Amino acid sequence: MQKYTASFLGRDCPGVVATVSALLGEAGCNIVEVSQTILLGQFAAIFAVETAAGPGPEALRARLEQGLAEAGVDLSVLVRPAQKEFASALRCEPFVVSVDGPDQPGLIALMSRVFARHQINIEYLKAILGEEGTDHALFVFEVQVPENVDLGRLRRELACEAQSRSLRVSVQHRDIFEAVHRVGAT
Amino acid sequence: MLSEREVTSILNMLRNEHLDVRTVTLGVSLFDCVSHDLDLFMANVRAKINRYAAQLVSVCNEVGDKYGIPVVNKRISVSPIAVVGAPFGPDGMVRICCALDAAAKEAGVDFLGGFSALVEKGFTCGDKALIEALPEALARTDRVCSSINVASSRSGINMDAVALMGQQILRTAQATADRGGIGCAKLVIFANIPQDVPFMAGAYLGVGEPDVVINVGVSGPGVVKKAIDRAVASGCNAGGGRLTLLDLAEVIKRTAYKVTRVGEIIGSEVARRLGIPFGVADLSLAPTPAVGDSVGEIFQSLGLSSIGAPGSTAVLAMLNDAVKKGGAFASSSVGGLSGAFIPVSEDSSIEAAATSGLLGLEKLEAMTSVCSVGLDMIAIPGDTPATSIAGLIADEMAIGMINHKTTAVRVIPVPGKGVGEEVSFGGLLGKAAIIPVPQGDASAFIGHGGRIPAPIHSLKN
Repeated sequence: MQKYTASFLGRDCPGVVATVSALLGEAGCNIVEVSQTILLGQFAAIFAVETAAGPGPEALRARLEQGLAEAGVDLSVLVRPAQKEFASALRCEPFVVSVDGPDQPGLIALMSRVFARHQINIEYLKAILGEEGTDHALFVFEVQVPENVDLGRLRRELACEAQSRSLRVSVQHRDIFEAVHRVGAT
Repeated sequence: MLSEREVTSILNMLRNEHLDVRTVTLGVSLFDCVSHDLDLFMANVRAKINRYAAQLVSVCNEVGDKYGIPVVNKRISVSPIAVVGAPFGPDGMVRICCALDAAAKEAGVDFLGGFSALVEKGFTCGDKALIEALPEALARTDRVCSSINVASSRSGINMDAVALMGQQILRTAQATADRGGIGCAKLVIFANIPQDVPFMAGAYLGVGEPDVVINVGVSGPGVVKKAIDRAVASGCNAGGGRLTLLDLAEVIKRTAYKVTRVGEIIGSEVARRLGIPFGVADLSLAPTPAVGDSVGEIFQSLGLSSIGAPGSTAVLAMLNDAVKKGGAFASSSVGGLSGAFIPVSEDSSIEAAATSGLLGLEKLEAMTSVCSVGLDMIAIPGDTPATSIAGLIADEMAIGMINHKTTAVRVIPVPGKGVGEEVSFGGLLGKAAIIPVPQGDASAFIGHGGRIPAPIHSLKN
């Protein structure tokens, strides 16, 4: 059984998912996991698929592109063999790091460099602009923090970077968000 | 993945709405410290408190950091000293109080509660010694709080104790006259005192409680106020219809749920890290003098010109009930008082209403029939007769006894000051203008002594 990830990027419109999933099915692929989002009217999706003895990644990509062109759907396609997932050797705890303040280029790079230094993996990243005025930006990083990371030091390093750009930063364990907002969370 | 709203709502609660864990209170039973020898008893007490409280402050700070929610105060409650120190006289009680104060300072906590006596049906030798020791004990210590339970729905009101406490409140004020009578801010007279309340000055560890336990007091009047403000500003309910009080009660209930969850998660983790059982989360809207952290402002958000205006008792009843409902759904370990506090000097909005004359003792008393606790942090003239203070206590105890609820009195007769003058206690205790006590003489009534019998528990109407 071959495992691939097929990613699609392009203009969003009704029927995009129907077309993509039908083409994958016709190519002998079983969809095992999907993540999809829309940003600035652009559709972006990653499909994890399995196929018994299907085509290689290049052949699959060519077949999907051809099918999309015939259906009149404007999407770019990338197909790659599934790779071993990144997994920290250490036990990790989920944290939410929120950074907000005046928007300026380089903020995400600034913060994510700190995470990289501590081997902290970013699982979700969301940027929300214009909430408290046109220049205001809020970045929410959902990260996995290995247990050997000194939280106090991480906090200080993030605060130091944030302060240099007049940003506020908060670091909170993810459980508090679940506990407060979700009935049934434990 | 968390939603944008889930993240921003917690950030707002923390940054703009004063969400915090008001207190993590470590309960320590002192029954196994008992001795006939005073020095040995005090050594046992300090050793036991040190053993369990040594890590309390650092663990609370670590857990607060982990979740990004500040644990503002760390406190200790102990078994009622009148019981565990029963063999000792008033001088011994003062020394015990000083030992507790030292233990509190060693542990780095801001208050320790439990210099307490339970006298609703009568006095033991220990009770008498402790009550006699109160003025000196509270004057010589900074962090020890005292509570005296003089009434219950099962036993009635011990009017001898009420009369005595009227006198002891005056003496305590006199003993701390150089600090505005601050000793009285650490002394509460109760009916139906809960055994597990984490808030001061009424915290003590009841006789039915575990050997050690972590109880948590969560606050959040600012969070509730802002939630009401948002609902009122939108002008419509969740279904798009006209916003009514039914919808606002729902808003309060849901907000109370969220705040209680914060307390439960932090309390449980502190307890787990200390290897101590978790007791209760007490969600009480407990104000501080900071603007935006006020229960009084909630009355304005709900449409009254000020707390004290007609409708105030109804607002408080709705608020208190909705808070309890939200808390009860959020945690199976809700306990303590869990409602709304109206401490005058500790709440800038309530204090302003009292200073301007919009809120008097009579209205405050009426409001205490529907909220947690009672006449709280009220500055009265220093020359108020002991029998009038006893009369105030008796009235408040009657409300608690008949309605099967906790009520309490914490009044400060400010030495040398009269109506309209101001007293400042500093910090969380705030400041207040002295308000008048109703005229009339209660001395003959109080002089009867004895006990007002317990109310009938059937034929309720």
